[in-house]
Formats: sequence, C-alpha cells, structure tokens
Amino acid sequence: MAATTVKAEPLGQPPEEKVAERVDYLNLPCPIPYEEIHREALMSLKPDVFEGFRFEFNKGLNPQFGLSHSVYMGLAEIPSQSSETIKIPTAQYEFGANFMDPKLLLLGRVLTDGRLNARAKWDFTDNFSLKANALLTNEPHMSHGMFNFDYKGTDYRAQFQLGNGALFGANYIQSVSPHLSLGGEVFWAGQHRKSGIGYAARYNTNKMVATGQVASTGMVALSYVQKVSEKVSLASDFMYNYMSRDVTASVGYDYILRQARLRGKIDSNGCVSAFLEERLNMGLNFNLSAELDHSKKDYKFGFGLTVGQ
Amino acid sequence: MANRARGRTGKGAPAEEASAMKKVKEWSNWTLKKAKVVVHYGFIPMVIIIGMNSDPKPQLYQLLTPV
Repeated sequence: MAATTVKAEPLGQPPEEKVAERVDYLNLPCPIPYEEIHREALMSLKPDVFEGFRFEFNKGLNPQFGLSHSVYMGLAEIPSQSSETIKIPTAQYEFGANFMDPKLLLLGRVLTDGRLNARAKWDFTDNFSLKANALLTNEPHMSHGMFNFDYKGTDYRAQFQLGNGALFGANYIQSVSPHLSLGGEVFWAGQHRKSGIGYAARYNTNKMVATGQVASTGMVALSYVQKVSEKVSLASDFMYNYMSRDVTASVGYDYILRQARLRGKIDSNGCVSAFLEERLNMGLNFNLSAELDHSKKDYKFGFGLTVGQ
Repeated sequence: MANRARGRTGKGAPAEEASAMKKVKEWSNWTLKKAKVVVHYGFIPMVIIIGMNSDPKPQLYQLLTPV
C-alpha cells in the first residue's frame, strides 16, 4: 500500500492517505481531568522550593503500604502586613502512612503541631470515583475538607465538588478533537457569598501543550509547554487578574536527565528560582532548591535528602 | 374569634418550620464536629490497620524498625 502511494506521488497528498487521517469523532480520547489542565506547566514551573534542611525517609512494608518520616528544619514565613517578610526558625517532624491499591488510595500525614493532611480516593467502578481531601487542625474554624465525585465517560469527564463552608462546585471537560479539549466550571461559596464560572481549553500534541483558562473571579491564565527534545522542555506561563490588575509572566526550563532533574524559572516579579533533584544512588536522592526574589530582597536556599526504597 | 385563631395558626406554621430548620442545622453541626474529631484522631491508625492487613502481610516489628 505504501509503495503504490509513493510511486504515484503528485504534489498534493494522495487520496488514500487523506482518508486514513480523517478523524473518528466517535472515538476521541478521554481528556485530562479539569483540575489538571495546567499540569505540565505547573510541574515545570512550580517545583516546591523550600528553605532550610529537609530529610525524608520512605519505608515500604509492602508494595501497597508504606510509612514516611520527614524532618524539616528551617525558616517558616509568617504573613505580615508590611512589605518585609518575617521568618521564624522552626523544626518539625511529619509522620505519614500511605496505602496504594489500584482501587483505593489513602494518604495521611500528621505534623508535630497536630495538623493532619488526609487524602483518599476510591474507585467504585471503572468510571465513577470519589476523592476526599482534608486539612484538619487543632485550631477551631481553620480546618478544610472537600469531597469530589468524578464520572469519566468515553470522551468527557464530569465532576461535582462539595466542601466545607458550603462550597459547591461542578466542572465538565469534553474532547472535541484528538488534540483539543474544552471545559467549564461553576462554583458557589456560601460562606464568602461568592460564585463564579470559568472556561478552559487545552490543545496538546506530542510535542507541545497549550492551555488557557478564564474565570469570572477575574483570572486569566495561559500557559505553553514545548518539548524540545527527549530531555529538555521549555514552559511559559501568563497570569492576569483583571479585577486586581495583577500580572505575572514566567518562563522556565525543565531538563530531565538520566540521574537528575533540573528545573529553573524566571518571573516578571523579579524572582528567579531553580530546583535540582539528583539521584545519587538507588533509593538516595539529593535535592537543592534556590529562590531569589530580587524585588523583595528575599533569598531562600534549601537542601534535602530523600531516602526511600 | 375565628380571625384571631386564623392569625395564630398563620404565625405558628412558619415559626415551627424555622425551629425545625434550626434543629437540623444544630444536629448537622454536631455530627460534623464529631466526625472531624474522629477523622483527626483515627485516619492514620485506620490507614495503618488497612495496610497491615493487606497481603503480603507485613510483620509488626517492620512497623517500628528503621530498616
């Protein structure tokens, strides 16, 4: 079949090839979940930079069950009214337990000050799943919880959210072509008496991902990630809030090498950051993090070690 | 006399509904508070129990030793 099309090649494409490329609109792929629409840009541009020393030990008792112990010593920022950031040295220990099954995922992390961060995900059937997320503290009125009910169809996904403080939300995303998916969301927050509606679009090919999101809260977010080669990808991000006239643009790179992963970015707020994760040996990872905020004169450097089987 | 009776029932029904709603709100607040305490103290032990009973079943000492 290929030989005949090559021999009979005119300037345009031969008709057999055109028919093979026609899109089957009844068989589109399932889109990415709505909250992960900016996933590639977020992974490349927002690594979790930290300040101080972080040590993490992950112990797997079972392919499904593991415990984690993590120690952090460094400076924690206290939000303050003045432009100066106030940092207080803190040290904390975090114990975590996680259980990962194909159908059930449970993750719990508890800190020394009593804060619990819990996540659970249960797939009742192939298409329907329930997710729950909670951050519980000992202080009254500072705890949050959220439940999500997801339904995955053949080429669409729908989600309904229920949170504390009378927070209701729903979102829907649909694949309209093999590369393009469009979605929308609506939410209502009872406690703050706010409601909003938003739209998002995502276009992806093997080499690039472009996403855009607009919301009635005044947020416009655009991002573009290009995979330049197997090891390198470049990303850029633009966020604009038309109510508060706040603009941030950032450009970054992501090198995924055999033994290391290096991510760096520069921001329009004068903030430069970099994050390196290096695999020293099997089960031993070394992290270096740096964030230089030239406009606020706030420089943060951190290093950490992760030991895990 | 009939007007006064009708007036009283007219004001009585919305007041009953309001107190029923109040009771439902109080109950739901109470259950949420208790549920929050239960989840706060019991989530991690529950994950550990589910994990220790999954197979291959790990031993108890593996929970405590660092290796």
